[in-house]
Amino acid sequence: MKLKSLAMAFGLAATALSAAPALAEYPERPVQIVIPYGPGGATDLSARALATALGSQSEQPFVLVNRTGAGGATGSAAVANAEGDGYTVLAARVGSHTVNPAMKANLPYKLEDFRFVGVYEINPVVCAVSANSDIETMDDLVAMAKDDPAAVRYSSSGVGSMLQIAAAMVLDSFGVENVREVTHLPLAGGGEAALAVYQGTATFVCTNSSALASFVKNGQLRPILVTTAEPLEGFDAPTAASLGHEDLEALVGWTGIAGPDDMPDEAAEQWRSWLAEAVKDETFLNFMKQAGSKIDLMSPEESLEFVNNQYQTFSRLVEDLGLRVE
Amino acid sequence: MTLMDQIGMGFGLVAQWQSVGYLVLGVTIGVIAGAIPGMSAVMAVALTLPFTFSLQPIFGILLLLGVYKGGVFGGSIPAILIKTPGTPASSATTIDGYPLAEKGQAGKALDMALYASCIADLVSNLALILFAGWLASFALQFGPPEFFTLILFSLTIIAGVSGDSLLKGCVSAILGLLLATVGLDLVYGTDRFIFGSANLMGGLNFIAVLIGLFAIPEIFAYVRNPKEIDGDVRKLGHVHLSFTEFRHSLKSIIRGSFIGVILGAIPGIGAAPAAFVSYSEARRNSPNRANFGKGEVEGVAAAEAGNNGVAGATLIPLLALGVPGDVTTAIIIGAFMIHGLQPGPMMFATNGDIIYAIFIGLVLSSVILLLVGGAAIRGFRYIADVPRYVLLPSVLVLSVYGVFAVNNSVFDVGVMFAIGAIGYGMLLLRIPAAPFVIAFILGPLLENNFRQSLLMSQGSLDIFVRGPITWFFWSLTLLAVAVIIRQTLQASRERAVLTPLGTPSAMSSSGTRPAE
Repeated sequence: MKLKSLAMAFGLAATALSAAPALAEYPERPVQIVIPYGPGGATDLSARALATALGSQSEQPFVLVNRTGAGGATGSAAVANAEGDGYTVLAARVGSHTVNPAMKANLPYKLEDFRFVGVYEINPVVCAVSANSDIETMDDLVAMAKDDPAAVRYSSSGVGSMLQIAAAMVLDSFGVENVREVTHLPLAGGGEAALAVYQGTATFVCTNSSALASFVKNGQLRPILVTTAEPLEGFDAPTAASLGHEDLEALVGWTGIAGPDDMPDEAAEQWRSWLAEAVKDETFLNFMKQAGSKIDLMSPEESLEFVNNQYQTFSRLVEDLGLRVE
Repeated sequence: MTLMDQIGMGFGLVAQWQSVGYLVLGVTIGVIAGAIPGMSAVMAVALTLPFTFSLQPIFGILLLLGVYKGGVFGGSIPAILIKTPGTPASSATTIDGYPLAEKGQAGKALDMALYASCIADLVSNLALILFAGWLASFALQFGPPEFFTLILFSLTIIAGVSGDSLLKGCVSAILGLLLATVGLDLVYGTDRFIFGSANLMGGLNFIAVLIGLFAIPEIFAYVRNPKEIDGDVRKLGHVHLSFTEFRHSLKSIIRGSFIGVILGAIPGIGAAPAAFVSYSEARRNSPNRANFGKGEVEGVAAAEAGNNGVAGATLIPLLALGVPGDVTTAIIIGAFMIHGLQPGPMMFATNGDIIYAIFIGLVLSSVILLLVGGAAIRGFRYIADVPRYVLLPSVLVLSVYGVFAVNNSVFDVGVMFAIGAIGYGMLLLRIPAAPFVIAFILGPLLENNFRQSLLMSQGSLDIFVRGPITWFFWSLTLLAVAVIIRQTLQASRERAVLTPLGTPSAMSSSGTRPAE
């Protein structure tokens, strides 16, 4: 009798023990956030700041992994092919998820391979020239590009980067006909691209305001266009809309969290509530504001629509200008 | 506020116990992180950044600077002890550091690495404080054509690290250049040699290649021929660096420091070319030239001086112009920005106290590095005593973990073993590994800057002679090539004289050779 009850107690305990993990909520183990760009870049800093803000919400740690290479393609492909258990997510970025898919024919992933749980950060795009240059306005730049396209150089962080498509889109919108003849100067990174304009290696650059903020504050670069609807604090330049180019408002940088397309609902839901809390974190907000970003959490549906719209816009542009890389 | 007030306030900021505490903490974290294969100074700084958000600005910045400086030195420890350079820059240290460790002089090599690092660090910091403005404006004159000529000159170093046979050195370098082309073409964005693999799109991982080339062949060789060849030699005792040796290397340390400062101030070059140029210059000017690559302590000194001379100088563009010169300073600029500080010329007026506090903190960090680094090598030195049958399996495990950790990628581990097999083949054929590494690191820089220059000039070659800097490097290159030709001719004449007497030519490079 005694033995039997003991055995039963053991049995119950065993059932309880084995049942416990099944009842446990996501996450049961550390969650890996893959950053498809190198340490210190805009995506990296943004994801690290986010992970710090998320840290207090989950008992399980977040593991940040940089999988660098091929303009974000290596890391993105790794997550697209990862197991859809919610334990591997990607810090998706404009370059890896709208520019690259629009430009590259043989990319090892498609937009549909991902489940977006939320775009949380928007970076305005600013075009700038060297403060020493004769170019004062967009009109000056456009006149120069029409006159001798090859003599105008725009720097970027590589083929398939947001910087490349931004410059091309701006020139195209302002009526430069032979955009492909304007010299594209791909450099090793976004920082180098901005620096090249300051050094005079390139004529202009269109990139995230964060990459230009310190150059503009120090009077080294002159902003000539911002693509946001509202004027941008710290950048004394006209908005695209005020010059009659509303179409350029689609040109913004962003960062969001995405999992593989078969990410379970439970994990996606958990991420949504985490992100909703993280965007209220003071330190996080302050850091992102200092970096020149706008924190604006979109719902999964809004995120998907936003990303798809930008992808369509870029695809059309790439098609029109013949920028596709085979 | 006068200058003296600002300096006084800066001193006040550093003179708090927390400031010194964070600096010591940073250097300690950095040295340990740098000593782990697969962790680099950049990664350590990126990992530390979020912890600085809640700290006072000066504490956060000093913590990050400490991590950076410690990390750069820390990389030399595994490079010397287990032939596992954690960064491209410390692979120059391996060339002479590991042979010294094999001879039982690991203590000496580590001592030298530490002293060279601290002196170079100090020189670099002083250059930052005294000449930041001047160096920054010089550095900004480096565009793609200037880079191209500089890298071209740096490639002449290959001759110096080729050992006995220039031909074998060139074979090694060509192999390195070839493997460096794998991945995306920078200018057209097309794939090269990826054979349809998404894993190869980003090119071969640096760390996987470095560790595969240096550490893995040692292990393969030991597996095939597990003899404790130098087990007894290695245990000969803890030889310390003598003052005479230090004094002999001092010139190379100072020269290396200045090379590091100048190359470090130029945005986008990084520490590896500085370490290699410094090493090559030291070899060229040394009376012990023949001993370089076989365990010459001056080689360790030169490599580490070049490597660490860069550390302070990378802050020059940051503080003088507000321009981050490399990835590390791009992270550090984040620590400034979160506190509303804007580095750049204006900062001397608006937050001069912080600038001077950083200056004082930097000088202090050189001293702290000496103390923390000294403690670290006293601990790590014992690794040299571990018998090879325990050490090498541990190195293998550590290498696999380290390479995996960089990208959390099993593919990289595969790359490491594949390169290891190539490296072992090279070891058997007596083809030196150093030219491979130099070409692998510099090759993409050479190609990209060449093509960027031509894009700028719309195809005209005139751009490569566009200014005094390009002329300067062209002349250096010609000079170096002339010297190489003369030395090669001389050596073959000497061999022609010696061979009839039956004297075998000197063996180069290090390592356990199964053939022996």
